[in-house]
Amino acid sequence: MVRERVYIDADLLIIGGGTAGCLAAWEARQRGGEDLKIVILEKAFIRNSGCLSAGMNALNMYINQGTPEDYVSYTRYDMCGAPIREDIILSVAEVVNETVALLEAEGLPIKKKPNGRYLNRGKWNVEINGSLLKPITASMAIQAGAEIYNRVYVTELMNIDGKVAGCVGFGVRDGKFYIARGKAVLLAAGGCAGLWRPRGHDDAHHRIWYFPFNAGGAYAMCKRVGVKMVGFDHRLVPVRTKDTYSPTGTLAIGMGAPMINALGEAFMHERPEYVKLGGHTAPTPTRAWALCQETLNHRGPIMMDTRRGDPERVAGLKGQYLDMSPALVLYWGCNDINPSMDPIEIDAADPSLVGSHAGLSGAWTIGTSRMTTLERLFVSGDALGAAPSRFISGTWACGRLAARSMLYYIERVDPQYLEINPDDLDRLEAHTFEPLDRYQKCTFYTNGKPIEGVTPEEMEWRMQYIMEEYCGGRSHWFHVSESYLTLARKLINRMRHDQLKYLVTKDLHDLQLAWDVINRLDVCHLVIEHIDYRKETRYPGYVNRTDYPNVDNENFDCFITSVWDPETDEFHFEKEPYVQIVPGDRNKESI
Amino acid sequence: MPPMVIPEKCDGCQGEPEPLCEQVCPGDLMMLDQSVNKAVCRNVGDCWDCMNCTKSCPRQAIQTRLQYQSAFFPGKLIPLVGTHSVTWTLIDCHGNVERFVMKTLAGDEDEEE
Ligand SMILES: Cc1cc2nc3c(=O)[nH]c(=O)nc-3n(C[C@H](O)[C@H](O)[C@H](O)COP(=O)(O)OP(=O)(O)OC[C@H]3O[C@@H](n4cnc5c(N)ncnc54)[C@H](O)[C@@H]3O)c2cc1C
Ligand code: SF4
Ligand code: SF4
Repeated sequence: MVRERVYIDADLLIIGGGTAGCLAAWEARQRGGEDLKIVILEKAFIRNSGCLSAGMNALNMYINQGTPEDYVSYTRYDMCGAPIREDIILSVAEVVNETVALLEAEGLPIKKKPNGRYLNRGKWNVEINGSLLKPITASMAIQAGAEIYNRVYVTELMNIDGKVAGCVGFGVRDGKFYIARGKAVLLAAGGCAGLWRPRGHDDAHHRIWYFPFNAGGAYAMCKRVGVKMVGFDHRLVPVRTKDTYSPTGTLAIGMGAPMINALGEAFMHERPEYVKLGGHTAPTPTRAWALCQETLNHRGPIMMDTRRGDPERVAGLKGQYLDMSPALVLYWGCNDINPSMDPIEIDAADPSLVGSHAGLSGAWTIGTSRMTTLERLFVSGDALGAAPSRFISGTWACGRLAARSMLYYIERVDPQYLEINPDDLDRLEAHTFEPLDRYQKCTFYTNGKPIEGVTPEEMEWRMQYIMEEYCGGRSHWFHVSESYLTLARKLINRMRHDQLKYLVTKDLHDLQLAWDVINRLDVCHLVIEHIDYRKETRYPGYVNRTDYPNVDNENFDCFITSVWDPETDEFHFEKEPYVQIVPGDRNKESI
Repeated sequence: MPPMVIPEKCDGCQGEPEPLCEQVCPGDLMMLDQSVNKAVCRNVGDCWDCMNCTKSCPRQAIQTRLQYQSAFFPGKLIPLVGTHSVTWTLIDCHGNVERFVMKTLAGDEDEEE
């Protein structure tokens, strides 16, 4: 079938108009001048898309005290002393405060203390009224005069002899085939939710913590064109409010509510096995691990005891959640919970892969350039790996730094648009729309289901089942071993190699779901092989290897990177050395 | 917390090139049921509860309803969007009403309570 095509050329091509993408566009305009052509391709509507779409009530990265070096020290500590890209975090920490000021000038209400300074939450957070966080972030890109294409779902990058020429995708509304070229390309399409089974089923299957419409496209597209990837041996296990899986920083850091078990023990302070790991301020994976241990030892349910929190702040809890997770406030109203009198139940939820929150997954980048191992391709936000704890504010800053680096690249190299072979384009077009075209040839059962095909939902459930059972899902308390991984590998590869040819979709909306499944399966592949490669347990709570339960510093105190080989379908693994820039004990915070 | 559209209130955003709820949904879930010209969430299970559709509806036609598997009936949470704040009304299952005015944009401090 011949489809209408849209050809776009841009100096700066940005894929994903989210937290990082919008600020990259803004910075590019400030520094690149009026004539620079900046294009954003966004699969949803830029004012309401991505992780920020529900609003947030705090910026988790802000240097309220100390120095950027102290922030690096904290981040390292919070990841159990594991190797992190200190160079990248340092670069972000140096510009994060001024970046927050830019967003305040754009209208973001930041809460203030009586003395006029930002209202801090702990050492590194500031409280905001962030229900319009995304529209405000998007207005930075709109103001910058970026050409924004909403409802374009990007499916593949184009690698021409080791350089990324641009990308292709489809119009979710218009069904057109989009071909976009860039002199420099920024991939900022977020992380990956939904690889493991969610805790809520059926009509609650997207009641998960991470934004479910970031389905690993950034990781999978990078993998498929041969970008070096890092950190898929790690995943974020979110400890969140039970059932709604809303963030808990508001309770823990905001009001100092401790986790308690069924015996009423604030176990992080009271049980010696956790005290020695850092107590209440133990690293994030350790706290998840402690919650799992308490539950496994039959001391659940686990609650956050708001009664022991700061009473003044507890009183404003509902308001704070309305700015970020209104579902929780309704949930309390429907379940007779008064958060200032009743402890709030928490649980560990399905893991997510992220690079900018408490996670390490993403593309490997060269120095602080944000350029991947493929020339012209840059990443930021959750798509950039091994540099955790950038959060919203650090992601804004990271987007700006990516833009600067892209401009520098354009200035230095003067790249020209790359010619794309027309046959390759035809092939990419057919590939992009395959599930839709297959559906046209289907016949149907009396219940409307296609006789000759499988729907994206069915494939997603199968994939989640495999990952849950064999790659350490919540029902296995995040434990894995070689034997389980062998099964996971076999089944996921079966889906990748032999089942995708049955994937069919009835319309353009479902074509997105089809690509979500295709992408997620590639991310599963990364996860299984990376976890298998790291034969140790460096982040207990997040990945527990029952066959290698200890830390093995001799072999694994390093980054693990991989490049996928399409010929053999195998990864070429490498160990990248960790470079400590900020001196000091990696298992201690400097302030 | 999927959105449910009340048919008497929804007019299909007549005159708009695209219904507002459909435009804003980050998951592309709201759509117009052409046969009745009213909005519907195409798959409530796919909803992330961001409430953008609910907040954007000019006719307050979208009611947010929690999944029964996790919450009792008939609590309600209704946002009323102003230029610099949003006023939330929470009605719990027993009919107790609470109101919250949350600032959304810096400026115009008068609107706050
Ligand atoms: C529930 C939740 C709560 C959080 N709470 C806090 C907090 O309180 N404080 C804090 O500082 N941080 C918080 N974070 C972290 C913070 O939100 C993230 O670190 C940050 O927003 C990530 O930015 P990003 O640009 O990588 O992704 P996003 O902002 O999600 O941007 C990705 C964009 O890419 C688009 N996209 C995806 N796939 C495609 C595709 N194939 N084609 C085209 N476009 C595509 C998406 O629609 C989206 O617009 C939270 C995160 C979550 C999920
Ligand atoms: S925004 Fe409201 S009135 Fe408009 S189509 Fe949606 S539900 Fe109907
Ligand atoms: S609440 Fe958000 S995700 Fe759900 S249908 Fe409305 S706009 Fe879409």
